[in-house]
Amino acid sequence: MDYFDGARKGKRRDVAVGAGLLLVGIFLFFLPASYQAPVRQAVRGTALRPFIALQTGMVARRARSLDLQTLRAERDSLAAIVAAQLTLHEENQRLRALLGLRARAEPGFRPAQVIRLGTAGSESSFLIDIGSEDGVVVGSPVLAADGLLGLVWEVDRHSAHVIDWSHPDFRASAMSADGAVYGLVEPRRGSFREEDLLAMTGAPFHSDIKPGTRLVTTGRGTIYARGIPLGVVVGVEEVDTGWRKSYLVRPAARPEAAMHVLVGVRKDLGGEGDLTPLWPVGSPEDTLAGAASSDTSGGLQR
Amino acid sequence: MSRGRSFSYWLLILTLVVLYFFLHLALGFGTAVPDLLTVALLLAARQVRAGAAAAMGFVLGLLRDSLSLVAFGADTITLTLLGYLGSRSRDFFVGDSLLFVAIYLTVGKLLHDAIYTLIGGSALGDGMLRFVSQLPFVFYASAAGLTALLLYRFLVRAR
Repeated sequence: MDYFDGARKGKRRDVAVGAGLLLVGIFLFFLPASYQAPVRQAVRGTALRPFIALQTGMVARRARSLDLQTLRAERDSLAAIVAAQLTLHEENQRLRALLGLRARAEPGFRPAQVIRLGTAGSESSFLIDIGSEDGVVVGSPVLAADGLLGLVWEVDRHSAHVIDWSHPDFRASAMSADGAVYGLVEPRRGSFREEDLLAMTGAPFHSDIKPGTRLVTTGRGTIYARGIPLGVVVGVEEVDTGWRKSYLVRPAARPEAAMHVLVGVRKDLGGEGDLTPLWPVGSPEDTLAGAASSDTSGGLQR
Repeated sequence: MSRGRSFSYWLLILTLVVLYFFLHLALGFGTAVPDLLTVALLLAARQVRAGAAAAMGFVLGLLRDSLSLVAFGADTITLTLLGYLGSRSRDFFVGDSLLFVAIYLTVGKLLHDAIYTLIGGSALGDGMLRFVSQLPFVFYASAAGLTALLLYRFLVRAR
């Protein structure tokens, strides 16, 4: 009798413990994102820290073993470009001084290495190996060689959690490369992740953006500098009669291809920094042919 | 289960958990790595009381959820539930054979994916398509768990 009483009590206790933990789990699930972040950071910064630190080291070692020849060629090209633009820069500064304009805010970027997570629920996000100690803040833009990749969502001391453009919460103010049409870019989930696209919503109904036109950031707001490529228009997604149009956009940067990124570490980029010269425009009209030529030219000008 | 074997069994569980995070986080192998975390929980749940198994599921789920920006908490709920059910499965099924363990791991992993998709479905996009595309990984995880168990049994017998 005592045995059965004890077993029943034990089972009741098990049910109570299970139900309690389940309730805590449900509570965590429905917590607002801003309250979930500290819990996530605490777990990442303690129990998972050794694993993340280990990958940071391994990624760094892999990066160091890059082909030296390629690096030397890139360095030489960079040196040539810098030398050629030195006089232009001085002239620009002198003219701005003559006109009484204050110096343009120079974009501050830090290189970072991408750390892939590959676990369930970590889709549309990745870690980078620099954090708050390097000047990274929540909302810092993350750039790949071909254009905008995402933005920093959570920051730890030595790492940061980044969402890429395929994350449901990603938004960016966009315009056509010629500045004629403005709108807001947001992700569109494909049947498979490789089919994910962006969509430019809120464009005026009378606008007519031709397929192949390049979209860039407007610099409005305080997150993204002006002129960062977002992608190329592939066609009209939806026409809300008489009101607005939305366009499907093939993103400029693919998250799965990124191994190294640049992270904006200054808050004053939005509106002030103009990164348009970093990415060459293929042709004056920025048409399909132009976009194709810029694709093959390798994106970010080195 | 003798005390000596118990210790080595828990060492196997710990190894599976550490290996899962090592392969995912340290080496970045992504989906090439089977879901050893769920396998570890399912194997451990058969050895402890339901409350302890649920607690284990909660901790493991929270660890994995710390990397999730899309559906935080979904895996905590799923693994807590799975731990509890895994432990309670002893009341209905008694067995230690490889065939039984294979079926147990497959059904457990399938249940995990179903519950996880159900909870985090809206945040994860097309839930049904995701669930179907993950089906091969159910057998992959179960095979990995079975291999680990076989290796463990071989090592214990050899000792």
